[in-house]
Amino acid sequence: MRLHETGASSRTYAAMAIVACLLQVGIAPQISLFGGTFNFMVVLAVSLALTREVHASVVCGFLCGLFFDLTSAVPVGLMALVLTIGSFAVATMAHGMAPGMTVEGVRLAIASVVVVNIVYAVFLYVLGVQSDLMWALGHGVSGAVLDSLACLPFIAAGGGSAPTRGFTARSGGSRLKGLK
Amino acid sequence: MARNGKYPSAHLNSKRQSTGMRPLIALSLVSVLILTFYIREGDAGPVHTARSVVTTATSPARFAGSLVAAPFNALGNVAANLTASQETLAELREQNEELTARVAELSESAKTAERLEDLLGLQSTYSLESTAARIIGGSSDAWTHTVTINKGTADGLALGMPVCNSNGVIGQIVECALNVSTVLLVNDETSGVSAMIQSSRAQGMLQGQPDGSLRLNYVPADAVVEVGDIVITSGIGGVFPKGLPLGTVSSVDKSANDVYYTITVRSQASAENNEEVLVITSLTTDQSASDTDIQAANSSPAGETTAKDDGSSDANGEG
Repeated sequence: MRLHETGASSRTYAAMAIVACLLQVGIAPQISLFGGTFNFMVVLAVSLALTREVHASVVCGFLCGLFFDLTSAVPVGLMALVLTIGSFAVATMAHGMAPGMTVEGVRLAIASVVVVNIVYAVFLYVLGVQSDLMWALGHGVSGAVLDSLACLPFIAAGGGSAPTRGFTARSGGSRLKGLK
Repeated sequence: MARNGKYPSAHLNSKRQSTGMRPLIALSLVSVLILTFYIREGDAGPVHTARSVVTTATSPARFAGSLVAAPFNALGNVAANLTASQETLAELREQNEELTARVAELSESAKTAERLEDLLGLQSTYSLESTAARIIGGSSDAWTHTVTINKGTADGLALGMPVCNSNGVIGQIVECALNVSTVLLVNDETSGVSAMIQSSRAQGMLQGQPDGSLRLNYVPADAVVEVGDIVITSGIGGVFPKGLPLGTVSSVDKSANDVYYTITVRSQASAENNEEVLVITSLTTDQSASDTDIQAANSSPAGETTAKDDGSSDANGEG
C-alpha cells in the first residue's frame, strides 16, 4: 500500500505554507517578547514533519530554513541546514504516531522547536555572529517558547488533513527486510 | 537489473529512497555550500543578490505587516516595560510625568510633524545630504538588532549608509533591496562606530553588547571621562559624519592597572516602529575626519585638548 497525499491535504499544506510565510515576513518582525521573536518557518517545518513522509519533510525543512535565512539578517544557509536535519529527525521519530493534536505529537513538536532554537543559537556563537553563548541561548529559549505556542494551531491544521500512515510507510520495515 | 543488481525491482528501489537519507545528505551539503558562499563572497555575490531579490519580493508583506501592527505597538511597549529593570522603570516614570504634560494635547499627526521637523532640524544643523525614510519593522530573528526601512536602492540608498533619527545615530544599512533596506542598529554586538567624548575629545570605538547595551572601548585610561559626558561620532572611517550624537556616558570604570576605561553608554536614539529616520546619502569633506584628526587619534588617542567650545564646532560639522 503506497501512501499518497490527497488533493485536499495538499491544498491545506499549501495554505499552511503561505500563511506561515506571510506571518514570518509581515508579523514576526513586529513582535518581540522577552528577547525572543516568532519563527514561523521553524513552526511550519516541524508541523509538516509530524505528518508528512521523511523525504518530503526534509525538502520542506530545507525550503523553510532557506526562506528564513533569505528574509532575515542572519547567515544564509545556517537555518536551512538546521531545519533540514531537524525535519529529518522529527519525521523519523513521528513515524507511526497519530496525526493531529495528540500528546505525543505536541510533546515532540515542542521538544523539536526547543532543540532547533538552541542548536541554531550555538551555531551562531560558533560562527562568531554571537559573542556571548549565554545571551545567545537566552534568545533561543525565548524564541522557542514563542514558537511552541505558535506550533499548536499549525499542528491542529496539519493533523486534520494528514493522510493516514500505514505500517509499510516505514521503509526498511519488516515486509521488505527479506528482500534486501 | 541493469542499473543495480542488488534490488530486484525499481519499485523496491524507490521505497528505499523514502528513508530520506539521500535528500538529507544532498540538502545538508547544499546548505553548507550556501553558507560557505555567503561567508566568503562580497556584498554583491550571488547569495547576497538572492537575498536582495527575496527581500524586494516580500516587501509588500512587510509593509502590510507594519500597517497591521501599528495599532498594537502600545502593547509591545507594555511588554517591554514589564521586562525592564526597576531603575529603568523609575527613570522612565519620571520622564513620562514630565512628557505627559507636554504631549497630552498633541494629536498623532502633530507628533509626526514634530518628528519631521526635528529631522529637518538635524538635517540643516549638520548640513546633511539625506533621504527621509520610515521604519516598517524590526528584526525577524531574536539574535540581531536590526530594523527595516521603507526605502531602497530605487531611492538612492546603498550599503553602508548611516541612518539617524532626530536624537542621533541609530545604525547603518547592511542590506539594501530595491524598495526596502535593513539597518544594523548601533547596539547590535557586530556593530562598531568610531566615537569620541565630546568634552575631552578622547576617542574610542562604540560597540554593541550581547545584552543590547553600548560600550565605548579603547578610551585610554589617562583621558578625562565623566558620567553624563556626551558621546559623538568622530568621523574617522568616513562612514558617519563627524559630530552626530550617539549617547551619554552612564558609567565609567577603571581598575588600577587598566590601560583603557570601561565605559557604558546610554543610547539617545531609539528605533521605534513607524518612526521617521534620515539616511545620510553622502558626506561633505568637512563632515569627515580630517587628516589631522586621524593623525591625532593615532598618535594621542586621548586627545590633548579639553575644548569647551567643541560642541558648537561639531554641531556645525566642522573638523
